[in-house]
Parts: sequence; C-alpha cells; structure tokens
Amino acid sequence: MTTATTRRDAESPDAAAGQEFIRRAPLPVFGKAFTDGWRALIGWAVGFAAAVFLYLPLFPTMSAGAGDMQKLIDAMPAALIKSLNYNQIGTGAGYTQATIFGLIGFALISIAAIGWGAAALGGDEESGQLELTLAHGVTRTEVAVQRFAAMALKIILVSAVVFLLVLAVNGPAELDLNVLYLFQTSVIFAGLALLSGSAAMFFGALSGRKVWGIGGGSFVAVVGYVLNAIGNQSADVEWLHALSPYYWAYGNNPLANGADWLTMVAFFGASLLVGAATAMVLRRRDIGV
Amino acid sequence: MTHLDTAHRQGQQGVRDGGSDHAIEAVGLSKSFGRTHALREVSFTVPRGSVFGVIGPNGAGKTTTMRALLDIIRPTSGRATVLGADSRHAGPLIRRRIGFLPGDLILEGRITGRRLLQHYADISGPVSRGYIDELAERFRLDLDSHVRKLSRGNRQKLGLVQAFMHKPELLVLDEPTSGLDPLMQQEFLGLVKEVREAGQTVFLSSHVISEIQQAADEVAILRDGRIVTVASVEGLRKTAVRHLRMRATGIPPAELAERLERLDGVAGLVCTALDSGATEAVATLEGAIRPFIQAVSSLALTDLVLEEPDLEEAVLALYTAPAASVTPVQAERRDRS
Repeated sequence: MTTATTRRDAESPDAAAGQEFIRRAPLPVFGKAFTDGWRALIGWAVGFAAAVFLYLPLFPTMSAGAGDMQKLIDAMPAALIKSLNYNQIGTGAGYTQATIFGLIGFALISIAAIGWGAAALGGDEESGQLELTLAHGVTRTEVAVQRFAAMALKIILVSAVVFLLVLAVNGPAELDLNVLYLFQTSVIFAGLALLSGSAAMFFGALSGRKVWGIGGGSFVAVVGYVLNAIGNQSADVEWLHALSPYYWAYGNNPLANGADWLTMVAFFGASLLVGAATAMVLRRRDIGV
Repeated sequence: MTHLDTAHRQGQQGVRDGGSDHAIEAVGLSKSFGRTHALREVSFTVPRGSVFGVIGPNGAGKTTTMRALLDIIRPTSGRATVLGADSRHAGPLIRRRIGFLPGDLILEGRITGRRLLQHYADISGPVSRGYIDELAERFRLDLDSHVRKLSRGNRQKLGLVQAFMHKPELLVLDEPTSGLDPLMQQEFLGLVKEVREAGQTVFLSSHVISEIQQAADEVAILRDGRIVTVASVEGLRKTAVRHLRMRATGIPPAELAERLERLDGVAGLVCTALDSGATEAVATLEGAIRPFIQAVSSLALTDLVLEEPDLEEAVLALYTAPAASVTPVQAERRDRS
C-alpha cells in the first residue's frame, strides 16, 4: 500500500485539503469475484486435465480393437447407447463428444458454473455479506453485472483450457478432430455452462438462498440432459429435444459436423438475458430478510 | 443514471443549504414482512453533528430501521431522507458518505483483514493513507491475520474500522459495542466523541443504554416497531428513578413517613425504627431532588444515600410498560396508540 498513488476524489471534502488517499481498484466487484476463486479455478483446470488425459488417450486402443469395441456396444442395451450418445463412439469426434464434451466435461463444468452462479448473489446474501457490500458505494446492478461477468470469464477460461487440452491430445490420441469444429464445440460447451450458471445466479438472486440457485441451475443442466436422453429413444418422444438446452448444443454433433454461429451466439445471448433479469430482480428485493 | 446524478445533487445541496440541519429524517416509516409488522410509523430526526442512539429489546425494529436507511430493505410506507437524499434513490454517491456496521456482521474469512478492508475501501469513499492502520492500532487489531482466525470481538473491530475508515459524514452502527471488551467499548465511545467533534453524525443502536449513554445526545426507545419515546440522555435521567436511604434521629417512623409521602415522585417508602433509636427510610425518588432535600433539611440526619439515577431501570420500565401508560419524556412522542 506504500506504493499506492494519490487519488483525489472530487466528491470528498478532503480532496481540497490535498490529503492523500489509498488507491482504489477499478471494477472492484468484478476483480474481487474473479480473484476470490482463482485457486478453485486452478483446481477445476486440473480436474479437466485429468478427465482429458484419462479418457482420450484410450481412443487408439479402442478403435484398434474395433471389433471388440463394436461387440461391447452391441452387447449394451440400445436405450443405454442412445442415452449416453455412444452411437458414434467409433470415431474420434464421436468418442470425444461422448466422453468429454457430452459427459464428464459437461458434468464438471456444469457443477463449476452452477456453484459460481449460486454463490455469486444467493450464497453471498445468505451468508450475510451482500448486505454490507450493498451498503457501500455500489449499485445492485453493478454488483450483479460485475459478478455475472466474473462468472462468465471463469467459464470461458475453463472452456479454453479444455479446448487446449483436447487440441494437445488430438494428434497423439489419433482423434483426427477438425480444429475449427473443436473450437466451435468448445464455444458451445462454454455457452451451455454459462446458461446453467446464469440460471443459478438468477434463482439465487430471486430467493436470496444458495440452494435455490443450485436447484435452478441444476434444473437447466440435468433436465436438459435427461430430456435429450429420453428424446433420443424414439421418434414418439423426439419432440422433447426442443425443450433441452443440451440438445440445442450437441444435437447436431458439432464436433463432427461443425456448428452454425447462430447456435453459439444464442447461448451467450440467452445467458445475457438471464443476467439482465438477475440484475432486475436483485434491484427489487429486500436483501437479507 | 439520471436519478443517481439527481440524488448526488440533492446530497450536495443538502450540505450547502438549509437541508444541512438533519443527517437523517424518517417520516412514518413502516415495514411489514408478511403479517409481521417490524416497523410501525417510525418518525425521528437526527441533527447533523449529533450522536443519536436507538435502544430497544431484540426484535424492536432497530436493525430494520437501519437497513431501510441504507436501502437494503424497502419500507412498506413512509420515507426517509439520508444526507438530504431520499433513501430509496440515494445511490452510491450518497452511500460513499455513509459508514455502516451491520448488526449481524459477517465477514469473508479466507483473506486477511487488510485485504478485506482494501476491498471495502475500493467500493467506499476515499480512505486517507495510514488511517486504516491508525484505527487498527487504536483497537489493537492485527490486520495481517486471516479473518476466520479472529475472535468475535476482533471481527467486530474490523467492522468498525470498515465503517470509520473513510471518515463518512454519517455513521450507521448497529450494536457497535457487541463483542467488545469494556476497554474497547471505551475506545469506541472515545472515537464516537471525536468524530462528533469533527462534525460527523452517528446513528447507533444498542439493547442496553449503559453502552451508549455516555456518547449519545439523544436516545429513541423502540419497542415492537414503534418509537416509545425520544429523549435526551439528560431527559431520560430526569425520569429515571433514584434509590434513597436515610437515617434520622428524633423523629418516629410514622411522622417521617407522613413527611416524605407528601412529596412527588416518592414511591415504595418504608420507614422503620432502628435499635439505635434512629429511624430509617428507604424509598425510590423520581424527578427533581430539590423538594426532597428541602423536606428533609430540618431533620437531624445521620445518614443519607441518594444514588445516581438508574437509566437502565428507566429504560426497562419503558420496554415493559403498556404502551398507553408510557409517559412521553418530550413532546416528540410518536406513539399513536
């Protein structure tokens, strides 16, 4: 703090007296929300690395023994294969989608995003700390927007790590992935998680309770996954796909086929709308009652 | 943003023009949570540069009042003006000129006190260099240990430093002395006196008057969401009861009783004859003491003990007395029942 530069504040009577003030950080709420979780962020990155290095290098052995693999798949109930999206598991793109983006990675990033979203406002209010923050020189909108931005940045960073990890094992694991499609899938991966995280933040802000945030966020992630899995089963229930964010993201197999930009933008746009709604509900509520 | 700018202008005007006489003005403030009425038409004014205490039992509405002033909760009806701006639309520029200590102080535990205070400095009014350390030294607070390792009293000190560090025009302190040892309570009261002399306004709450009677100019007593009375500490002291005990010779108990009973404010009188032949009288005395002194001046007194008025007792009486029977100490009584 000794190296802090002088800051004069126009609205302070002390400024005229030429007193020196300690430096204030720009975007303090964002900075705090982001830096508070950096250790956890590293933990998540390690978790993703473990998942990627555990699953993807197995692909060559699985595809080499393609006959055995096919036997195994054939032995599994058809409904299970459809639920787990294992029908394309014989290709590098299908395998990466089924294991990382569609299952383990999806679960991990959803848990991370929902945890961040639920803690951002609901958890902070429940613990009693939001009250003191809001008594300072910030608006509720600022707090909601900056914490949303911090959550979004964390999700994007984690997704970038996943992109780089998969890219790194693409050659050695003989996945033969199209790098652009991998990038597009990573963007969608981030967008889907951001939607769950935004829902968690919204319900946390609406209720002032972390558990409602977790419930709301999990609803988007889990119900989306379940509706997709049921919709896969037969043409009669295929319409359920229309209700599943998971299907919106992965129904078209972006890792194998590429994704249209609209899908990518739509997840972020929808999340921003939920973020705006979060700021609106937070502005209207009594905090900490 | 427009309303923020407006609020700021109003706030600045408040400093300059006639609005400068009140730091807080609450008018008919009511707040219901479902069917619970936390506040019922609470009105009071806190003059600038004064120390205003609000006391009341738990659940009386002290915390709700303070939260409403900071726009953390919104009143069901009524309004409040804080530093010249409507509390509902006061905005961040006004809140930078306020220091707030919540009643249930919860602080993040994973970081050091110094980093936590730096964060609050980032979102509050400008903090003079060195002032945080000065305050910490005063309260004997170690800023470099993690917050979760601090005792409750030390966390309270962090909360106080956080409220005082930007030398705000108005301090809103909910139970500021809770968790502090007596020495630190004195340090706190000393700090309150200093900021008052510097022209800052302090609005603080407590559930016992002894904690704030030295510091407060005026005290509002809150009960069941209503203000029972607003009085100066001096005014409260006048209504407070003194315990008296006296011994006199040459007067039989009955005669002494007759002489004292006539006086206003004497209650619970018991006169007994002692073995030594003297007569002892024990009673409580409310109000002025002069008539009493005059009444006993001609007696052959051997002992007279007139205790200091017990404010605690006076306040407890106001807590428990049925609202209708409470005697307003000043005309500022707001109770409508």
